[in-house]
Amino acid sequence: MMGVAQGPLLAMHGISKRFGAVEALTDVTLEVHAREVVALVGDNGAGKSTLAKMVAGALTPDSGLIELNGEAVTIPTPAAAYGLGIATVFQDFALCENLDVTANLFLGREMHGTLRRSDEEMERITREVLERLASRIPSARTPLAALSAGQRQSVAIARTLIGSPRIVVLDEPTASLSVAQTAEVLTHIERLREMGLGVILISHNMTDVRAVADRIEVLRLGRNNGSFVTQRASYEEIIAAITGAPRTEAPRHPSGAPLSAVG
Amino acid sequence: MSNKAAAGSQSSLREANRSLVLQTVQRWGGLTQVELAAATGLSTATVSNIVREMYAAGLVDTAATTRSGRRAQLVTLARRLGLAVGVHIGSRHLRIVLGDFAHAVIAEQSLPLPREHRMDASLDRVALLVSDMLERVGASVTEVVGVGVGVPAPVDAATGMISVGGVMRGWDATHLGQTISKRVGCPVWVDNEANLGALAESTLGASRTCRDSAFVMASHTTSAGLMIDGKLHRGYAGLAGEIGHIQVDPQGLICSCGNRGCLDTVVGSDALLEALRPSRGALSLRDVVQLAKEGDQGCSRVVADAGAQIGAVVASLGMVMNPQMVVVGGELAESGEVLLGPMRTAITRRMVVNQIAPVEVVPAVLGTRAEVMGALLLALQAAEVPVMSDAEGEESAS
Repeated sequence: MMGVAQGPLLAMHGISKRFGAVEALTDVTLEVHAREVVALVGDNGAGKSTLAKMVAGALTPDSGLIELNGEAVTIPTPAAAYGLGIATVFQDFALCENLDVTANLFLGREMHGTLRRSDEEMERITREVLERLASRIPSARTPLAALSAGQRQSVAIARTLIGSPRIVVLDEPTASLSVAQTAEVLTHIERLREMGLGVILISHNMTDVRAVADRIEVLRLGRNNGSFVTQRASYEEIIAAITGAPRTEAPRHPSGAPLSAVG
Repeated sequence: MSNKAAAGSQSSLREANRSLVLQTVQRWGGLTQVELAAATGLSTATVSNIVREMYAAGLVDTAATTRSGRRAQLVTLARRLGLAVGVHIGSRHLRIVLGDFAHAVIAEQSLPLPREHRMDASLDRVALLVSDMLERVGASVTEVVGVGVGVPAPVDAATGMISVGGVMRGWDATHLGQTISKRVGCPVWVDNEANLGALAESTLGASRTCRDSAFVMASHTTSAGLMIDGKLHRGYAGLAGEIGHIQVDPQGLICSCGNRGCLDTVVGSDALLEALRPSRGALSLRDVVQLAKEGDQGCSRVVADAGAQIGAVVASLGMVMNPQMVVVGGELAESGEVLLGPMRTAITRRMVVNQIAPVEVVPAVLGTRAEVMGALLLALQAAEVPVMSDAEGEESAS
């Protein structure tokens, strides 16, 4: 159970990756516990997506150690990641427009009875998963083409829950969504956490990140540049870590502004 | 209102009765004609006549219903009278409901907010969410009679501004009502979240049969809303019931309000989570509540101790205002008797024993939705419902 001191679900140590002359990641560390939302933030090119792709099995590190539940593992392919209980939602979703919600959730892993596909069973599970996420999708039979961008994000997140994962990676889930749709997705993230999953959330939006993340890991130019417990970190500190501004523990005026500015 | 009927005349009495019926329907959302007669003190025949007139004028809708097995006529305000919006800007959540005069919630949305969320960003999201929700139900802004907004700080009802500095960092200097009104395009009323919880529970929830009750909101911060003689008591500057800022520890930490050892510094979420951090790591308030419900000893202890401490303060409040019922809401109250048990003990132990009717300590019926429902009620009750008058025909003719 959560709370009691426990090792991390996923631990990545000394991760490095080069693309030719580009040092995408240098000696990066990341830990995710069960029932924890860890946000990966940083500027463009900070290495967030590269790190996420390694967790998802789309890239392999040049060096470094990945541990799952304390055991060293390699994640050579996305299929291997799925087998290890890691589910990923990338920015482009990879969903099929012409299929309905159920078919999208079970795409490539359809359930079969003795003679034929168990459509009713898959639809039942789909409704159950949507219910658990508090999703606003009215019917599991709606074709994807009829859904809004926010609802598609819901479907993509619901898809990760098929096959009982332990870790869910979400790459920019609220980018280009309206506020109402963002509200839905953030609620889904809270639900994933309550189900006891570890969530890696990649986002540019500091408001969203600070609303749902337990911990914020800052990457800057491919290196760790600060780890913050959301409860105790100020917006200014996190922004300073992202931009590389010198950080000092400046005393604060009750209004939130630095004392020097208030005079 | 220049050509109002002369006071004491037949027509002025009829007009007064009409507006009484209309106000009563507005307050309760939906009532049968028999209940309406009981609530207004008018005869059933009078009520029946008035309802028939108002139905013909399109002010109310009637529908067949049953009350204890008998057929009855349910009276609600016609929805064309408009919609209202309730907004609860909590410490960590934004909740918005869209409802009509029958108190029926037509649309609902919640959004997690960061700690110490910024005013500009949050108000922007309120405006965008409201227009999005209106679009969802196919309504336009012109149908909205008003927006009620609840905030986790004492509010001066006259100006709609936060009346104590520092409680909501960065929100002090802004005229919230005006700012939101400008964005949404309809009238806005702002009040303290616990006051709104009290309004909702005494209108729709646990204390709807009580004239005098207190609503205690135990959440990220602690606060109370007071219903005295059926009316919300806000106090001179909206500070009434701010029990989170009553001193309980003279040697305690300095509070956001600037005083030392306020109840909030002892039972606020920061204090509770800090107490658990060495042994449990970083938890959220929701985690603590859920773990307490599941029987985790440490989390139960923290919640129970908070209940006892809040109870001690509520007991003093109880001796001042003598409520019939204490309704407990807020996120901590989701843990049920883990919080309420020790709170009830602390309250009853400290209050003078009332042999006739000991104070009841009960959970909020509306749960964590009490505040947002109160915000909706605030907007509905503040909205002016046009009452047709006898002179109306002549007016339009002249």
